[in-house]
Amino acid sequence: MQIKQTKSQFVAVASIAAELSAVMEVAKEISLAAANAKAIAFRAGEKAKGFQPITDFINELAKDTIGLVNNINDYAFLLYRLTVNEQRLAEACGRFEQVERLARGARYAESLAGPLQQARQKAQAGRREFTIHVAELLVKLAEVMHPARAARVIAANSRIEASQAGEYLQSLQAVAESVDNAAQIINDKVHRCRSALTVINLAD
Amino acid sequence: MKMTKIYEGSHQWVMFGRDPHRPEKIIDTNQYMVRTADRCLLMDPGGIELFAPMLAAVLHHAPVEEITDLFASHQDPDIISSLGLWDQALPNAKLHAAQLWEGFLRHFGCEAIEYLPIPDHGGTINLGSVELQIVPAHYLHSSANFHIYDPQAKILMSGDVGAALEAPGAPVFVDNFEAHIEKMRYFHQRWMPSNQAKRAWLERVRKLDVQILAPQHGRMFKGDDVRRFLDWFEALQVGIAV
Ligand SMILES: [Fe+2]
Ligand SMILES: [Fe+2]
Repeated sequence: MQIKQTKSQFVAVASIAAELSAVMEVAKEISLAAANAKAIAFRAGEKAKGFQPITDFINELAKDTIGLVNNINDYAFLLYRLTVNEQRLAEACGRFEQVERLARGARYAESLAGPLQQARQKAQAGRREFTIHVAELLVKLAEVMHPARAARVIAANSRIEASQAGEYLQSLQAVAESVDNAAQIINDKVHRCRSALTVINLAD
Repeated sequence: MKMTKIYEGSHQWVMFGRDPHRPEKIIDTNQYMVRTADRCLLMDPGGIELFAPMLAAVLHHAPVEEITDLFASHQDPDIISSLGLWDQALPNAKLHAAQLWEGFLRHFGCEAIEYLPIPDHGGTINLGSVELQIVPAHYLHSSANFHIYDPQAKILMSGDVGAALEAPGAPVFVDNFEAHIEKMRYFHQRWMPSNQAKRAWLERVRKLDVQILAPQHGRMFKGDDVRRFLDWFEALQVGIAV
């Protein structure tokens, strides 16, 4: 385990946190779009009948996404703490090895062997824990993809429903468009999180 | 790292400094150790860059498990930014440092080491065979600042008070006080903020029998040079160098 590696790990963990907060923003936008669509569908009455349950569903999806991201944020924070810990231990191991070299011949040089071994063991344990949490995070991220994917399907449906809404066609289509866009953005961001995590794992 | 024994009695005092491996842009520091039969106190153990040479030097005197006490005169990086590393290295240690700085110093990493907060009025450090006094030196230069006085060895570890900016490899004791003044003046005028705090400290320290004044930078003062330093410091207007 090198200090250089924990540096790139810091960057990766930080970028995950950044992507996640962007996902959060987008999910909130979807939720807003759903509320908008609901209002339009209400005004459109009979003409947008098929649209109403869709808006509820979109809202649910947005809520699910927000819940999942909140949960993932806790993971990202844990990964950050583990990275700090790992960085400290890596630094300690490096410095202790330097002490060993400098203290050659010193009467009590041997006494540092215990702490050095302990720091190495803690570093290994920390690494193992980190790897486990990264794997769990990857699963969670896959879960966030589900509502985003569903949202895209629904957006396609919405377009069809919108086509029957007469003068409301344009505004409902715009809603469908923005849900589709948002879902696409979430997809991309989550992808980026996953590849950031993969970089960490590859460096292992 | 150069080691100089400055007291030998029922316990020892050792000064560490003039580290030849020190990176050029890092201020040179003096670290001090009190060694008893089975315990060891390190005073102002230094910055991260100094950790390895410092611990390597201490290992000539004590095993890690007998390094039981650390003292930080204040919160500066050159004093104690190595804390996170000591924290991993020492299985049985306590840190004596200002109560006021606890929340700040813990940023360096302090989990295994027990933080013993020093209240504003000071206290003592009991090493078994010797008891050291923690002398308040607030605002000299840090808002919560302490020095260590050993009544047996008659040594006052004075943190940044008495510090001088020296060329590398300078001798460890002042040998010509007059010539030394110019190396101290700027440091004290610029880093020491308060004449009032200075006077309070002087009043306190003049009551102690000090044979060696041991600052964290520059040279130590011995015998009459201690009094000369106190007089010079008293006359110096501080907190004015801007
Ligand atoms: Fe300082
Ligand atoms: Fe200093």
